[in-house]
Amino acid sequence: MSDQEIIEGCAKHDRQAQQILYDRYSRFLLGVCMRYAVDRAEAEDILQDSFLKIFFGIEDFSGTGSFTGWLRKVAVNTAITHYHKNLKYRYYVDIEEYMSAETGVSSFEEDFYTSDELYKILNDLPAGYRMVFNLYAIEGYKHKEIAELLGIDTNTSKSQYSRARAVIREKLEILRRLKNSYTDNG
Amino acid sequence: MKGKKEDKNLRDLFRHKLENVEITPGASVKTGLMRKLGRKEFLRFNPGRFNIYYFGGIVAAAVAVALLLVLSGSDDDKKSLLQPAPSSEITIEDLTDTLIISEEEQSLQSTGAGETTGKISAGQVVDKPESKSSSGITNVQPDEKTTFRQKDGINRSDVDGSISKGSILSDTGRYRNNVQSNLIRKDALFAPSVTSGCIPLKVRFKSNSISSASFNWSFGDGGNSNEKDSEWIFDNDGEYKVTLNVLHPDGLKEIYSAVITAHPLPVAHFEVYPEDAVIPDDEIQLINYSANAVRFRWEFGDGTASDLFEPRHKYEKAGNYTIRLTVYSEFGCSDSHVLVNAFSGSDNFIEFPNAFIPNPGGPTGGYYSFTSDEAARIFHPVFSGVSDYQLRIFSKRGILIFESNDINIGWDGYLNGQRCDPGVYIWKVRGNFRNGEPFTKMGDLTLLKDNQ
Repeated sequence: MSDQEIIEGCAKHDRQAQQILYDRYSRFLLGVCMRYAVDRAEAEDILQDSFLKIFFGIEDFSGTGSFTGWLRKVAVNTAITHYHKNLKYRYYVDIEEYMSAETGVSSFEEDFYTSDELYKILNDLPAGYRMVFNLYAIEGYKHKEIAELLGIDTNTSKSQYSRARAVIREKLEILRRLKNSYTDNG
Repeated sequence: MKGKKEDKNLRDLFRHKLENVEITPGASVKTGLMRKLGRKEFLRFNPGRFNIYYFGGIVAAAVAVALLLVLSGSDDDKKSLLQPAPSSEITIEDLTDTLIISEEEQSLQSTGAGETTGKISAGQVVDKPESKSSSGITNVQPDEKTTFRQKDGINRSDVDGSISKGSILSDTGRYRNNVQSNLIRKDALFAPSVTSGCIPLKVRFKSNSISSASFNWSFGDGGNSNEKDSEWIFDNDGEYKVTLNVLHPDGLKEIYSAVITAHPLPVAHFEVYPEDAVIPDDEIQLINYSANAVRFRWEFGDGTASDLFEPRHKYEKAGNYTIRLTVYSEFGCSDSHVLVNAFSGSDNFIEFPNAFIPNPGGPTGGYYSFTSDEAARIFHPVFSGVSDYQLRIFSKRGILIFESNDINIGWDGYLNGQRCDPGVYIWKVRGNFRNGEPFTKMGDLTLLKDNQ
């Protein structure tokens, strides 16, 4: 079945088409959801809700543009909804703690880190940092758009992004030292 | 400039490494999704699939039929009074088998006249015992019929149009134009008061057979009864095949059955988050743990309600509210869970002692703990559930001597480093409990002299 056939099938709420859509794209979308979640369980929750939205909103897909792009957008929006829903119950890390965390390192080698390590770094970020970093650095939204999506001030988005960046840098640096110490020793 | 470059490096790192990662979700994610989807699809209008609209239609139809049955049953009295029973009545009563009626109908239709019902039926009714014994083939045996009828006819004329007989009559009336009445009619021989419902489901069964026969009901869940009319409560959900064996005095056996569907109950359960919400400052989130439910009704106790799965709610005023959640299953069965005084003030109190002995060695700053202050060196309250607090202590002349906004700091009996004179002082406290309920108290305290 081509994507087009699947989309048409899903628009008719055909159970089989929905299954195929899930089987084809759930891995990709879980990869997206994983970036926005604290852990695997939350990511899977977001994934489920994303698919419900996809199945019931597939008519909204214009047909032009990339289907995966649309799917990813739905997943990101679902993640944002989850973020709002859970906002109140999250454990807050004191923001000031990270204020001074700047490192002198200027670049990170892509091949040096595995995607699992990067996921872990994102998962461990405070929720607000994670949202802003994902949306800005990976999804490529503007701070103004992020501010609207998350219901925060544009400046908050900017400052959260720069703090998130600092935290991530520090973690990457620690990871680098850790990994280097292994290779040095043996 | 350097910052921008670094930023790009970091962005590229994450973008390139994570943009197209695929992670295989667990199998439970898919099953969970399909279940959720099934539930949502059920609620969506879709002419091509069984969903709630069809379900509603079926329920409505079932209710309509049930209503008709009940109405026709209760109207028996009037009917038999209003319309003098035709002579056919006797035969119909006796011969509870459906085959009779369909025969009757056909003959009726073939003669094409409604005029002399009595005559036709009298001539053509099939004897029930005969039709049974002849392996289901419908035989028309007017002779035997007549004798059979005369036997019973004597009693009948006395009780002319009595209720139990009338009910059958009215049934025949209803099915007269329906050639396929066989099956329906058969089930109608014992009419359950309901055929489906929520557990515990109480069903009354009324058999329309003559009372001289012996009855044996089996309710499909192990229960049975020998009454003519019986009543049974189904405690567990499921489909039960209820069968009635009738043994007539003349050795004839009849077996009837009907299916009763007992639907499971949903389970309502919820919790309020946060547990120690401050009313009305905090917005509360209700966490729904209900099972088997498709529809939810929240009553927050302040006159407002919600139908959401997990609503949030903000109260206008402080107070103690009783929250009720009623849930409904797809079959309309309901259950409710009530949280009486959800923001209970029962744990909230603040009490002060009426005397204390300041530390003779000098001021202590007023810090205390319940274990360290056994000697009552600090004037402080015992309390629970206090969110904010202000304690003030005055001399008898009304001069403010001590003030504390921290419940963990009491009065050590000193003012400006000097121990206050023994005597009576006035304390006043005000603040709020965590549920938003305010408190103000005042009283006197005696500053005691050190007994050394």
